[in-house]
Amino acid sequence: MSTVMRFPLLASVLTAACFLALAAAFFAALGKPPFEMLSSLVVYALGDAYSISQTFAKMTPILLCALAVAVPGRLGLISVGAEGQLHAGAILGTGLVLLAPELPGVVLIPLMLIAAAIGGGLYGWVPGMLRARLDVNETIVTLLMNYVSVLLVSALVFGPWRDPASQGWPATMKFPQGAVLPAVPDTRIHLGLLVGVLLAVGLHLFFNHGKWAQKIRILAGNRKVGEMFGLSYAFWVVALMSVGGAIAGIAGIAEVSAIQGRLQPTISLGYGLTGFLVAWLARHQPLVILPISLFVGALVAGSDALQLFAKVPAASAVIMQGLLFATALAVPGLLARWRTYRDR
Amino acid sequence: MTADFVALLATWCIATLRSATPLIFATLGETLTQRVGVINLGIEGEMLTGACVGFTVGVATGNPWLGLLAGALAGGALSLLHAGLVLGAGANQIGSGLAVWMIALGGTSFFGRALVGKQVTPLADLGSPLTDGIPFIGTVMAQATMAVPLAILATCFAAWWLAQTRPGLKWKAVGESARIAGENGIRATRVRVTAIVVGGLLAGFGGAVLSVDYTQTWAQEMTKGRGLVAVGLVIVARWKPALVLPVCLLFGLAEVSVLRIQSAGYAFSPHLLGTFPYLVVLVVLVSSHVFARRASAMPADLKAVFA
Repeated sequence: MSTVMRFPLLASVLTAACFLALAAAFFAALGKPPFEMLSSLVVYALGDAYSISQTFAKMTPILLCALAVAVPGRLGLISVGAEGQLHAGAILGTGLVLLAPELPGVVLIPLMLIAAAIGGGLYGWVPGMLRARLDVNETIVTLLMNYVSVLLVSALVFGPWRDPASQGWPATMKFPQGAVLPAVPDTRIHLGLLVGVLLAVGLHLFFNHGKWAQKIRILAGNRKVGEMFGLSYAFWVVALMSVGGAIAGIAGIAEVSAIQGRLQPTISLGYGLTGFLVAWLARHQPLVILPISLFVGALVAGSDALQLFAKVPAASAVIMQGLLFATALAVPGLLARWRTYRDR
Repeated sequence: MTADFVALLATWCIATLRSATPLIFATLGETLTQRVGVINLGIEGEMLTGACVGFTVGVATGNPWLGLLAGALAGGALSLLHAGLVLGAGANQIGSGLAVWMIALGGTSFFGRALVGKQVTPLADLGSPLTDGIPFIGTVMAQATMAVPLAILATCFAAWWLAQTRPGLKWKAVGESARIAGENGIRATRVRVTAIVVGGLLAGFGGAVLSVDYTQTWAQEMTKGRGLVAVGLVIVARWKPALVLPVCLLFGLAEVSVLRIQSAGYAFSPHLLGTFPYLVVLVVLVSSHVFARRASAMPADLKAVFA
């Protein structure tokens, strides 16, 4: 199966053009003026300080989930578990806050982030171990595990963790001030974004320049050759799956702490799946994930506002993401096909 | 006492079968798709689309069979997108399947809003004066619909077709190596497109059985990962249609146990109980790796997807 490995300029421009055409057709099909809708989408995503804050707020979990997929992806592992790891991180992080809500922020926030990383990390460790020890397909295991931790969040907030003061609404108590991630004043841009950007840079250095960069590349390219060099495939499978899970876990607690203010069932708008596709588009390169997650974050934030102000259905954001990814999957391959045909 | 026990056993048997039926169609479809060397995670979206379109047509026409047919066609049509992306554009199969799933998620949650609370005419049950009153069989027939025997027949037919017919042999050859199959005069791409569409038709049909026959309601994202469960169960069934039936029944049994525990009034969290069927599938998947060698059963071209 031939796949174009790089994303050259022509393919990117064509992808964008095709996506815009499809999005316009989608709005036309809804009976809305397509060009007006597309321009308001841009305005709602980037038009003023509020929109930009919303875009960065949506970008943050997408960025973290994409990194969570990219880390095991560098070894050739296909993990689709960011959604489940996000929820697992949210559970453990929230558990810590509920346990010691009166701790000062300087202590509580780092502890909360660590707990979330452990929660997500454990949730990545399980499929990692299964893959390393028993050769169980990590894609299927992570996909199925997603449903489990999402249900566990519901079980907790409908049950033991429900705040009696919330009048039947399934949610924990509101996070105390010391457990809310610091944010840029009057915006929803919070510490999670900084963590994501730093992680992206750090992972770029680790996977491209660090001591381990070449070893992991060899192991990913050919497991047997890697093992001849004394590298343990099993160790790296478990390590990278766990680290990926930990990153998604941070995404989870960041949503709970900075955006929702409490644990409730709707902490993720499918960020795990979006993150997977972003990571895949970026070919698992952390620095490429940054702009793509910003773009998709803008798309999600813009369609959210469009739903509010232009009465576009709520499902539009998901449909447009699906169209974007289908286009990005189709265009480079078709282009390569056309080139072979032309050169013949 | 004995009569009570027989009646209880019969209720459990038929409940398990009915719960497993949508999944049997989907798992069978995914098995056939994977036998030609293509993995389709979009089956989750195809099932969901089949459930949505099937329910819409079922409500509109008042004829459940038309609903099932429409659901199958919708699933098949959506699978063409996966076929186009994977075979036409050489796209990554996992990425393509997830993109298809995403489009279906958005599309059905949009079109499904109009379906919430609607009533559908279900399939007729198989009870008749002939079987009424016979222990076990009478109970089973009174609660079964045609979808159940259809699912069993479909798996038997697929198992026979794959093992005993020449086109079946061609499909298996393509799954082992499209290149060698092509060198021997088999149109590998055509076989693969056909298998993806057959998988989509079956998944769509299964989805429609779920909404029209089993739950008889529409709910957003109502397949709840059944398509992905199907992908996992294909591995457990070692890519054999004949084994699809027993592995799907395990999931059905898990789901029925959950429903029974809930309706018996035990104070369990329904969400916590809801994790049980997924855990059962995971445990079964892991144990199938412990107790059986998987590598030999997996179509060789499929391995390349994960390499």
